[in-house]
Amino acid sequence: MNCQDLRMYLSAYLDDELDIAESLRLEKHIAECRACRQTQEAQFALRSALRNPDLYFEPSPGFASRIASIVNSEAKKIARQESPWYDRFLLPSFRWASAVAAMAIIVTAGTLVILNNVRSSHEQLVASAALTGHIRSLQPGHLVDVPSSDRHTVKPWFQGKLDFAPPVPDLSELGWVLIGGRLDYIDGHTAAAVIYQRRMHNINVFLWPHHGPSDDHIQPEDAQGYQILHWNGSDMTYWVVSDLNREELMDFARALRGH
Amino acid sequence: MRSQDRLIRFEQQISPHLRSAYNLARWLTGSHEDAEDVVQDAFLRAFSAFENLRDHDGKAWLLAIVRNTSITWMKRNRTAYSLAGFEQQMDDRSEPSPDPEEMLLISVDRDEVKKALEQLPTEFREAIVLREIEGLSYREISAAINVPLGTVMSRLSRGREWLRRILSNTPEGTRHRRGRPE
Repeated sequence: MNCQDLRMYLSAYLDDELDIAESLRLEKHIAECRACRQTQEAQFALRSALRNPDLYFEPSPGFASRIASIVNSEAKKIARQESPWYDRFLLPSFRWASAVAAMAIIVTAGTLVILNNVRSSHEQLVASAALTGHIRSLQPGHLVDVPSSDRHTVKPWFQGKLDFAPPVPDLSELGWVLIGGRLDYIDGHTAAAVIYQRRMHNINVFLWPHHGPSDDHIQPEDAQGYQILHWNGSDMTYWVVSDLNREELMDFARALRGH
Repeated sequence: MRSQDRLIRFEQQISPHLRSAYNLARWLTGSHEDAEDVVQDAFLRAFSAFENLRDHDGKAWLLAIVRNTSITWMKRNRTAYSLAGFEQQMDDRSEPSPDPEEMLLISVDRDEVKKALEQLPTEFREAIVLREIEGLSYREISAAINVPLGTVMSRLSRGREWLRRILSNTPEGTRHRRGRPE
């Protein structure tokens, strides 16, 4: 190997991507050639300079939730295109008589079913947005924007960032430790995310104002190993997501609802 | 339901690479606002093409989309400068002195390194960003920029050699050049 070859292979050698035979030839040359040894050292210095974390560009703080909400509305758009509800009824083998009779039933009873489906499929989307919000928050550095176990720190932090004041009750006496707060973006709303913890299980409470009738019956659902609880308080809608077991999370939700 | 499953899988396999996507776009476009626009566009493309991702590596797949989106963006907004022009410029630069003591003097100042990397032609800059800053293997880089392994290897090698040359000339070298009357 000469100095020209070395320059070509040195980079792959530093990356551990050179095969053994070439590596040995390169090491042999470096041992004998002072100029190439200096080149190698300069490349080492360059490598550590390039690995300076300052050279890693970070997006702006709200960027991840902005992208999540854009992808989410894209998903809704696709969902609308994918499910023409009448497809099921367009069976070619239907005979006319039964078709007419069936249509009469479908039109009356079906309307109720469809309205019902629209509502639950919307809630499904919110549930999946809350779940993905929870999963996203588990990425390093994403859990809290304001880390604090003091409700008097967390609650004022939301002021000026939201046009509503999310309740941040202190549940520590019941064993639910407040970890902090964060802004999130769910179903077209800027949501307050309040994070509690028990035994290293994080609990995300997403909430935003709610103007419909209150229904504080807690609806549980499990998805991919996570529990998702939902209820509508008198002025806020709540979504609670965690990998904690259902019973304990229901206890938590009842404690939260009671405040 | 299908769309909802897709959303959940997407959030698990693709969304965690948002930082990497932004970092690459930022290095390619050179601007914060443009990088965010490119990433937003790339995420929408990725989501609609997500069904095509089978067992492949989600990160390399996403970065390939970000990279193509960035390049389209660069072609539309700026005249890409010629590689030949850059090579000429590098040849004009004095080769670092063979004196061993001087060869060690390469600047590792953060701003100098950043400026040097920004000067590299896109093909070389992206290879170095993916390798050194993003920590991808040659195989992953080859998938992300859609070139054979041998090309990855030679771009990294030339790119680093150029960086070393630029950085051995700074700060004295450039200051001297700049100070020269027109």
